[in-house]
Amino acid sequence: MHIFKKNGIISIMKILNAENVSYAYKSEEGETLAVRNVSLSIEQGEFVVLLGHNGCGKSTLAKLLNGLLLPTEGTVSVYGTPTTDPKKIYEIRSKVGMVFQNPDNQTVASIIEDDIAFGPENLGVNGEEISRRVEEALEAVGMLAYRKGTPFKLSGGQKQRIAIASVLAMHPDVLILDESTAMLDPCGRQEVLDTVRHLNREKNMAVLLITHYMDEALSADRILVMEQGEIVRMGSPKEIFGDINLIKECKLELPISCKIGYALSQNGFLTDTCLTDEELVEAVCRLS
Amino acid sequence: MTRNVAFGQYYPTGSVIHRLDPRTKLFAGVVFIVCAFLASSYWAYLICYAFLFSVVLLSKIPPLQVLKTVKAVLAIVVVSVLINLFFYDEGTVLFSWWKIKITDGGLLYAGKMVLRIMFLVLSTSMITLTSTPTELTDGLEKIMTPLKYLRFPVHDVAIIMSIALRFIPTLMEETDKIIMAQKARGASFDHGGIVARAKAMLPILIPLFVSAFRRADELALALDARCYNATEARTKMKVLRFTWADLTAFLVLTACLTITALIYAGVIPL
Ligand SMILES: Nc1ncnc2c1ncn2[C@@H]1O[C@H](COP(=O)(O)OP(=O)(O)OP(=O)(O)O)[C@@H](O)[C@H]1O
Ligand SMILES: [Mg+2]
Repeated sequence: MHIFKKNGIISIMKILNAENVSYAYKSEEGETLAVRNVSLSIEQGEFVVLLGHNGCGKSTLAKLLNGLLLPTEGTVSVYGTPTTDPKKIYEIRSKVGMVFQNPDNQTVASIIEDDIAFGPENLGVNGEEISRRVEEALEAVGMLAYRKGTPFKLSGGQKQRIAIASVLAMHPDVLILDESTAMLDPCGRQEVLDTVRHLNREKNMAVLLITHYMDEALSADRILVMEQGEIVRMGSPKEIFGDINLIKECKLELPISCKIGYALSQNGFLTDTCLTDEELVEAVCRLS
Repeated sequence: MTRNVAFGQYYPTGSVIHRLDPRTKLFAGVVFIVCAFLASSYWAYLICYAFLFSVVLLSKIPPLQVLKTVKAVLAIVVVSVLINLFFYDEGTVLFSWWKIKITDGGLLYAGKMVLRIMFLVLSTSMITLTSTPTELTDGLEKIMTPLKYLRFPVHDVAIIMSIALRFIPTLMEETDKIIMAQKARGASFDHGGIVARAKAMLPILIPLFVSAFRRADELALALDARCYNATEARTKMKVLRFTWADLTAFLVLTACLTITALIYAGVIPL
């Protein structure tokens, strides 16, 4: 984690801050309050996972965080600048990069390097610098060899890595991934997750990962649980997955290792909650 | 079907032709098309094809690869040959059977027709084989720049074209999938008259449109998330540069066009 010294006080840099944010979709039939009174912040280098069942408002929250939607109530600010400031909105969007679900619907050009260049071109970065950023972004996702190729011939996981690279080229400080692994096969999913973890660890990139796969949340620094537009719980993986009532209430599912561990502890075999496969194996080995 | 579409067939070799400015290639496209229509004698075609062949050689693309692009229009070539053979009745009759007469004039005319269609396809393919869609749309954007002063959204049009080209293969693939899905449900697309067949297309078109709109929705978000329209002063990764090679190409193209035009006008008796 990045630590700044300011006036002798050590403080961790907050990138993104949402305070009492609500959002209502307005239509002819009336209003749908999709996000209710949410407060959260994301700090430099953090890995945060947002969980919640279908339709609880995760995507809406994500869009509020980079100013694609503006809050009906409350404020979202990035480095202290509110997303409602029209002069700064593009700066905010370049700092809060967003990767969506379907990689096919995020590519704008037929050649990979041109697609990656799209973001920095929009921001008015000069040509040589763009070229450098394209190379750096492709390198970061391990796709440099494909620079001149076309995205059509790639696998789903590779396409999604290109989508990540195209966001990286804008030099964001947070990466929001809205179910970016949902359409991928297990291999592709692993590929994308490894890439994201690598960025988080090696490049100190803060990540907000929205997902339905509980196992992706196991290595998070923090988990946020959303239910009917509200963040009902925030905590470490151990706290969240250790609370079986919360999991049930929010219609979530335990990761398989936690499930087995829970069943074993119900029968009095284990005392601690086990998170990962390794922890479970260790605990079971200690039994005999 | 998805594989041999004309777009996205970019064949990178890094040759001189590939490195030409896209504006030069667009000019070449215009010259080629005009030449194909002006070429009136076999001599004119000989010149055009000689020129095209030298371009192919310079581009370092295997000639067979270039020839393959004709496959897509083979049916049109065959039909136009047959029509011209059977219905052109000037000249001496070489062969006749029932109401069909084949004349030497028809034969010559059909031959020219083949040369013309092939030239059109081959020459335009040379452009798409040697430049990426982005280069072409960038080139068009540059050419259209003066229209900016008339408040014409030049950049937006360029982006629209680039996205359209980029989505052709995706939507083709999707069409294939929908067709298979409908076939699996017992739909048939090759029975009945025209009306029945047109009706059978409906269950393909509707899901295709629905999906295209959904894609457009997501794409719009993705464009916004990547700061589309952030500044008027947007930049380009690859700055277009007009080089000596481009100047040479321009001169050669103009010469080729002039000769073909002069033959057409009868100034050069070939
Ligand atoms: N454009 C819209 N107009 C009106 N209502 C909307 C719109 N988009 C979403 N909603 C509603 O807002 C609520 C939250 O939707 P959202 O897409 O944020 O949920 P989500 O948690 O991302 O769901 P999922 O897991 O399915 O992606 C839902 O009840 C949904 O019906
Ligand atoms: Mg969603």
